[in-house]
Amino acid sequence: MSWPSLNLLGQAILSGIFIGGLYGLIGLGLGLTWGLLRQINLAHFGFVFLAAYLSYQMATEWGIDPLATLLVLPPLFFLAGAGMQWLLARFEITPFNSLLVTFGITVVIESIIQGIWTADFRRLETHYNDQKFTLGNFYLPVPELLTLLLSVAIAVLIWAAMRYTDLGKALRAMAQDGPIAAAFGINEKGMSLMLAGVCAALAAVAGICLALTFTLAPSQIFAWVGVVFAAVMLGGLGSALGPLVAGVIIGVSEAVTMAVTAPSWAPIVSFSLLIAMLLLRPDKVGR
Amino acid sequence: MTLTRRLLSIAAVALGAASLVAGSALAQQPPVRIGSTLALTGPLAATALTHKLVGEIYVEQLNARGGLLGRKVEWIVKDDQSKPELARTLYEQLITSDKVDLLMGPYATGAILSAMGVAQRYNKVLIHHTFGIPSLAKYDMQFPAWSLGPDPANTVPNTLFDALAKSAKPPKTIAIVTSKFPSVHFISVGGREVAKKRGLQEVLYLEWDFGNRDFGPIAARVKDAHPDFVWIGDIGLEGNMLLDAMKKIDYTPPIHFHVYPAPGPMTKAADANHALALTIFEEHAPFTNSAVAADFVKTFNERAAKANLPDTHVEVQAAASYTAWQMLEAGVRGAGSFDDKAIAAWLHKNKVNTITGNLRFDGPSNYGDDLMKIKQVQDGRWVVVYPPQFAPLNVKLQVQ
Amino acid sequence: MNKTVAAILATGALMASVPWLGLPAFYESLLYLGCHWMVLALSWNILSGYSGYFSFGHGAFFGIGMYTSAGLSGNLNWPFLWTLPAAAALAALLGIGLGTVVFRVKSVRGELFALLTLAITFVVGTIVLNTRIDGGPGIYLNAVAVPALGPTAPASLYLMALAAAVLSLLLAYRIQYSKLGIGLFAIHDDEDVAEVMGVPTFAYKLIAFGVSCALAGLAGGIHALFVAYVTAGETFNITVPLTVVLMSVLGGTRHWAGPAVGAVVITGLLYYFTAGNNPVAGRAAVGVILVVVILFMPNGILGYLGKARRKRSAPARPAAVATAAPAPPAPIAQVALRSSEVLLEVRGLSKAFKGVQALDRVNLQVHRGEILGLLGPNGSGKSTFINVVSGHYEASGGLVIFEGHQLTGLAAHRVAHAGIARTYQIPRPFAHLTVRQNVVLAAMFGGARVSQRVAEHEAAQWLEFTGLAGKGEALPDDLNLHQRKFLELARALASRPRLVLLDEVLSGLTPGEINEAIELIRKIRDRGATIVFVEHVMRAVMALADRVAVLNHGKLIASGPANEVMSNSEVVTAYLGAAHA
Repeated sequence: MSWPSLNLLGQAILSGIFIGGLYGLIGLGLGLTWGLLRQINLAHFGFVFLAAYLSYQMATEWGIDPLATLLVLPPLFFLAGAGMQWLLARFEITPFNSLLVTFGITVVIESIIQGIWTADFRRLETHYNDQKFTLGNFYLPVPELLTLLLSVAIAVLIWAAMRYTDLGKALRAMAQDGPIAAAFGINEKGMSLMLAGVCAALAAVAGICLALTFTLAPSQIFAWVGVVFAAVMLGGLGSALGPLVAGVIIGVSEAVTMAVTAPSWAPIVSFSLLIAMLLLRPDKVGR
Repeated sequence: MTLTRRLLSIAAVALGAASLVAGSALAQQPPVRIGSTLALTGPLAATALTHKLVGEIYVEQLNARGGLLGRKVEWIVKDDQSKPELARTLYEQLITSDKVDLLMGPYATGAILSAMGVAQRYNKVLIHHTFGIPSLAKYDMQFPAWSLGPDPANTVPNTLFDALAKSAKPPKTIAIVTSKFPSVHFISVGGREVAKKRGLQEVLYLEWDFGNRDFGPIAARVKDAHPDFVWIGDIGLEGNMLLDAMKKIDYTPPIHFHVYPAPGPMTKAADANHALALTIFEEHAPFTNSAVAADFVKTFNERAAKANLPDTHVEVQAAASYTAWQMLEAGVRGAGSFDDKAIAAWLHKNKVNTITGNLRFDGPSNYGDDLMKIKQVQDGRWVVVYPPQFAPLNVKLQVQ
Repeated sequence: MNKTVAAILATGALMASVPWLGLPAFYESLLYLGCHWMVLALSWNILSGYSGYFSFGHGAFFGIGMYTSAGLSGNLNWPFLWTLPAAAALAALLGIGLGTVVFRVKSVRGELFALLTLAITFVVGTIVLNTRIDGGPGIYLNAVAVPALGPTAPASLYLMALAAAVLSLLLAYRIQYSKLGIGLFAIHDDEDVAEVMGVPTFAYKLIAFGVSCALAGLAGGIHALFVAYVTAGETFNITVPLTVVLMSVLGGTRHWAGPAVGAVVITGLLYYFTAGNNPVAGRAAVGVILVVVILFMPNGILGYLGKARRKRSAPARPAAVATAAPAPPAPIAQVALRSSEVLLEVRGLSKAFKGVQALDRVNLQVHRGEILGLLGPNGSGKSTFINVVSGHYEASGGLVIFEGHQLTGLAAHRVAHAGIARTYQIPRPFAHLTVRQNVVLAAMFGGARVSQRVAEHEAAQWLEFTGLAGKGEALPDDLNLHQRKFLELARALASRPRLVLLDEVLSGLTPGEINEAIELIRKIRDRGATIVFVEHVMRAVMALADRVAVLNHGKLIASGPANEVMSNSEVVTAYLGAAHA
């Protein structure tokens, strides 16, 4: 194990922060529905990738700037998410069941993606890929920076909304005790539709960022489940800032490991850290 | 009517009837059924689709030429969903339940090993396309279409370093970064040893977990090590992701070699220019000098475009696939029957002329010559750069 | 022999004859896959379905089993059959080791436990990939001889998996209907209450986890030989953990055979679409089928069938219960009215919650056979007192002595075994167990600790005693508040405690219901139980209490006969403020 230069360490940490930001962005919607609606929504990953592919399609075939897709796709997915929630709300879904149902939906989405775009790898090539900022000796590539900024901004926005607006308070009340909240005039059905829609829109944003920074393949949908679940559970269900912080912790711990020793050991460091936190300071974990 | 004439007319009728019966018997001979599985869904689906297209093309052409030993060929493909345990089960179904006449191999090393076990149990010949670990191919009646040679951990690096030694700027220092995916890892380890033997100085050796997403730190470490040459033991997307990460920190490796990159994305990415890789076939002379190869290339281009594949070129996978079918056809014709033992015996003793070369199967694990060549991305296309007799005119290995 | 056990064994024997039926060998491999997933899903359910500890790490133990067998047979040349017990044992050992650490941490429940087990999978996978266990190239088992259990190799593998499946079914069935199973289901609904009712939650969770991991390891061991080429990437991913959850939920997690049904259905579905004509559409179809099935059968396939069967046979029940009027329950203990023998003594008992001193050096004695009222304004520490004495909370200082034995620091289930029972102010029945099962559980695990058959008999008596005789088969959610409070009482009494702690049992009741409750409490004492009850309803206190103790800000400020204490100036101040002293 050779001690790396400060430069290397710094760049590695940056890299970890960037990917942690993406974990947080993907996990945000997942954690909100899990904590507030008591649904483990695997279809979230399907939405993320569907949005990524749509963004790829719009940018490559129709020449639309990917950043412009940020204006088009989230509203579309808002409708899709609210629609899915409307369908699911007509049945009584326990959290276990929601896992199964959304898994089925994800498989369908995966098949649609493979049907349209084949199983081959698709990489969104844009001029953004070449652009980067330099901060001293460190590089801040534009797509990753954009992802991080979006992730932080949205997380803070949602956190503030949950804390300070009436809507946010209503959501939290509904999550804690639905019937009582309804007794106070909170429209549970409407709120859950809106929340599901917002989370799907968040998935779309995450998908666009994913398309900008990674190569896409339908089989990749399930590859992200493990680490994003970890970020969400570590950060706290229903928390807005939690998944981001947890994602960054996971990303940075893995990146530092990769900079300092054999990269194939990276998962053990991040997940052992996780286990240690769970056992030693469980009160700091979760809500 | 005289007796002779009566006899003659009876004979004529009898002959006529006999020829009618014989003719219809020939036309009604059941088709030869060839069975295999492919990973049509799941993580390996991208490459498996190539194999499906090639198989379809070959079987069509074969039937147009009259089939095998006068019988039409029917190809039965099942989806093993990228799971070796399902591949094993489905091959057992093909043999014991569907009772196919012949087998063709599946895609990817894991599935091929599963199929090999089944083939061994039932004494069936198994010809496979792209098997990555020759030392594990212990079954006597398996035949590789991909001429990796019996000892790729040695031969591949040596070929590569030969090519580099003859280039404009032979490297002196080397960084080896590799995935731990089984079929890649052992070749990278071999590369490490060969590099040492040839006097190259190793400035970095790293392994990553298959499934790694963040290549930033690895890219940074490579940049820090300032190697003349980077050996990237990648499979699928990993190479692209690493090059991407390198570009983001303003680093372009002077020369870089990839073990099993996804070919299409490599040609399309700007930062992958001058990437080196392995090949047995590319879409240019002298490979396309043969009419069979040229025709196949054209047909494959069309079919791939129709199937909406982003990359329609024939390269390693497609060529190996076609070669496998050629081997099967040659084996059947040579043995004059569909008997697996006869086919295997014939293949052991004879050479088969395929689009990837004149192949023999009498070496260790039935591997013959090492026919691997080195290719490079130049101007958005793969071209062979070594050995020089397989390179297009005026094409040389380019260094940054 | 039990009918179900016989049925399982018979089916197993029948299925074991398949290799000799002359079918194409592929059927054996297909059946193997079905059995393989049955074992994995059934074993997952034993911990996660029964107890609610949702594990996302089944893949880790499966992988350990796989690599144990592969390593021992492939690298160390052990005969294959010997590697199987080793695989199961190693997996179980790791599971128990992990459980010993994790189950002690109270707050690691629900999704945190899921997270922890998920993390374990990645940790184990990375260790395997980076050490000599695998190191990268994988382990190839083609040289390992398949044990000749059947006429062919696939047949032998199938028979091994079949044996494992039969074993898993038997274990799942036996556990569900055993004391362990009932305890696990209670833990599922409310672990803290289960512990207080006498269920040894830590031990039970550990056992369930151990069995679950052992079976997963066994399945992994057999699978190593089936695939013959073991690699880390194929083994340690999210497929196994996710698939077993899906199979169990689809089949029904509350039924022992549910996961088996789910495994067969999903394996069949996936196989059905391998024909290859339109694989992508086939995969989509699988997704759609899963969605539709679970939306219309939220309790899984077996849950749905079970409910349908219950609906059809429901009307018959009420009549049956009405005719059998059980005899009143035997007295709990010798009726020693208002003796001076000290049953419970607390000395210097303190409990602090991060800066809030809920109990402050309380000294109190409770005499055998008396009814002691525990009073005080809100927040004075009354409920905390009950929680600490019953073991629900650990005391920060002081002693709890019951019948001469020290109870301080004991796990709550041991306190229950000693003969103490309590009710909760807001009833906390086990929501998925029927009213009768709630009471049966208390009888089985509480101080009396009778066998299940005796417990059923007792439960009927106690339900009669508290007026819930007709509601035995109802779920607690179907009861009104009054009935649920009485269910709490029945539960508390079923364990034949010598000390009953009642926490505001009258709150929320109508005056008529309160009178009934007062009568009931008297009857309980008359049967020999000592009662400490926390109450705000003054007329009940005056009517029932022999003595009264008053807490304020965690301190005991007065104790003695009710009239005296109520006129104590300090007590009046505590309740009404200084002006009224």
